[in-house]
Amino acid sequence: MSLISIRNVQKSYRLDKTDTPALIDINIDIQPGERVCLMGPSGSGKSTLLNLIGCIDSPSSGSVVVNGSDTHTLGDARLSEFRNRTMGFIFQSFNLIPVLSVYENVEYPLLLQKVPARERKARVRALLERVGLAEYLGRSPENLSGGQRQRVSIARALVGRPRLVIADEPTASLDHVTGSSIMQLMVEMNEIEGATLIFSTHDPAVSRYAKRIVRMTDGRIAEDGSAA
Amino acid sequence: MKTIEMAWRNLFRQKRRTLITLSALIIGLCGVVVFQGYIGSLMRGFRDSTIRSGIGHLQIAASAGYFEDGEFNPFAFQIKDAESIMDGVRKEPEVQAVFPSTGFTAVAGFGEKSVTLLMKAYPAERMYFTPASGPSSAPEDRFGLGTMIAGSLAAPGQEDHIVLGETAARILGVSPGSVVTLMAVLPDGALNGRDFTVSGIYRASGRDKIFAFTDYDIAMSFTSLGAAPVIHVLTKDIREVGAVAARLPPGVVFRTWHDLATYFVQVNTMFGGFLNVIRAIILLVTLFILANSMNRIVRERMREWGTLRAMGTRKSGVLLLVVLEGCFLGIVGSALGVALGSGVSILINQAGGLPFVTDGQRIVVRILVSGQSVWLNLIPAAMVGALASFLPGLRAVRLTPSECLRQV
Repeated sequence: MSLISIRNVQKSYRLDKTDTPALIDINIDIQPGERVCLMGPSGSGKSTLLNLIGCIDSPSSGSVVVNGSDTHTLGDARLSEFRNRTMGFIFQSFNLIPVLSVYENVEYPLLLQKVPARERKARVRALLERVGLAEYLGRSPENLSGGQRQRVSIARALVGRPRLVIADEPTASLDHVTGSSIMQLMVEMNEIEGATLIFSTHDPAVSRYAKRIVRMTDGRIAEDGSAA
Repeated sequence: MKTIEMAWRNLFRQKRRTLITLSALIIGLCGVVVFQGYIGSLMRGFRDSTIRSGIGHLQIAASAGYFEDGEFNPFAFQIKDAESIMDGVRKEPEVQAVFPSTGFTAVAGFGEKSVTLLMKAYPAERMYFTPASGPSSAPEDRFGLGTMIAGSLAAPGQEDHIVLGETAARILGVSPGSVVTLMAVLPDGALNGRDFTVSGIYRASGRDKIFAFTDYDIAMSFTSLGAAPVIHVLTKDIREVGAVAARLPPGVVFRTWHDLATYFVQVNTMFGGFLNVIRAIILLVTLFILANSMNRIVRERMREWGTLRAMGTRKSGVLLLVVLEGCFLGIVGSALGVALGSGVSILINQAGGLPFVTDGQRIVVRILVSGQSVWLNLIPAAMVGALASFLPGLRAVRLTPSECLRQV
């Protein structure tokens, strides 16, 4: 059974009283454990598709089924819980909460899951150790480099043991070397944790880390196949 | 709970802006605290002087009718076992003094002139007139009845003396040592007349034309009353009045100072209302300033709300975070305002207090610094903070997480 099943999805935004299509007739299935790259130029619909998969937006028509749930039908409380338990997000600009320390940022999804304190502590410490930030637990995210912030973000995305990790242009704010190490880390996590990884990029060098590449143009899937 | 901690920490993200936002609340409440302390101190003085100007903390009578028309017509309201009641009340540990009083109307004549007087009679040792040379307050176990401007209050036991008010004395043309004739109607309808020596002349604004004082025993003998019509109780602490009243013997009625000092209660209520209006205006201004600030904060942190929701925080969780931040803004602002106001009050007190002129006398008022200000201002300010942030909070949750994340 597919982890993600998208059928006949359309998404349009209303701009200046006219509907502007962002996604047109999208059909795609993604299996558990896959490492998928959405590639395409700006405005091709990569982020919109990731938002629908991540249940942080809803389609204008069609269905998005993630882990067996038609996400469009869930209310806020159940959808929030679903996101918390099923998904991890990695953002282009890291989006760490500035008033929380590195430790607290990573711990946050576990607080929502009501994981007991002792287990929380063990899981957060273990993940931060794996991303090489064991020494930075009490630091504010503002005192970290871009690469370090993205590592915290990866740890935060994985700490809840999600089935799906969504990364929207995770290396776009990083230099080439840091970007590569971040992608390497994400690949490792995908292999070790077994979580499905879907990321977007317009950088061919970054797409190399995927096993499957979905190319998008003007809101449509132009090509869907294995990475060379 | 992380939400509370995050809301609290959010206050300090932009300290300068937080301080500017709160400045109206801080300065406004500082003014309210100083004004409230000044008025509070004046009203406390007014309350105590009202209580000690002949009311007492508690009055005990035989029936409720005394409090309506018995003060100067005591004949129908005599307390049969007044002495034993007084003995019982005196034993209460909270009681400072217990004593009877009586009153009657009389016509005072001197030569061809006469005035109508309302005579009040207390035991001589319970009456106190401030010396004319300078201000001093009455001892706590006595009634302060005015300023003695000539002569003195006769010693206990001295025969038939009277302390006249300045205006009455001027109308009659008498001075200490003069003998005036008092005429009063007795319970059986007969008219009694007796000569009284003027022992002193007092001044009390608005009272010294009509009120005159004499010793309780002299008045009882002059009016042929067999028992006291009213008993006054002075407690050691005003907060103990209720406890003393609760232990009074059955069969008597009582009124507390609060029931009797109607003018004080009216003035106090008026100032309380006035302060509440000022406080409401400050809170209203604060509401608009905070709402504006919270709107800006919510707009600036859209991506943060989107991130929190993407991670699984419910809409209500984000709303709570925003509302709590508004609450904390209100609480911190009012705490700083109250602290600043208390500090200014202490400084004014150390510099000698604020002047106030009453009855032609200039007195210095020390500003009351009370913990009550904290609760009076803190809770409404927290509510205003919550109210001011509720609508901006709704804005934060009305958008989808992806719309929030798209905001720059």
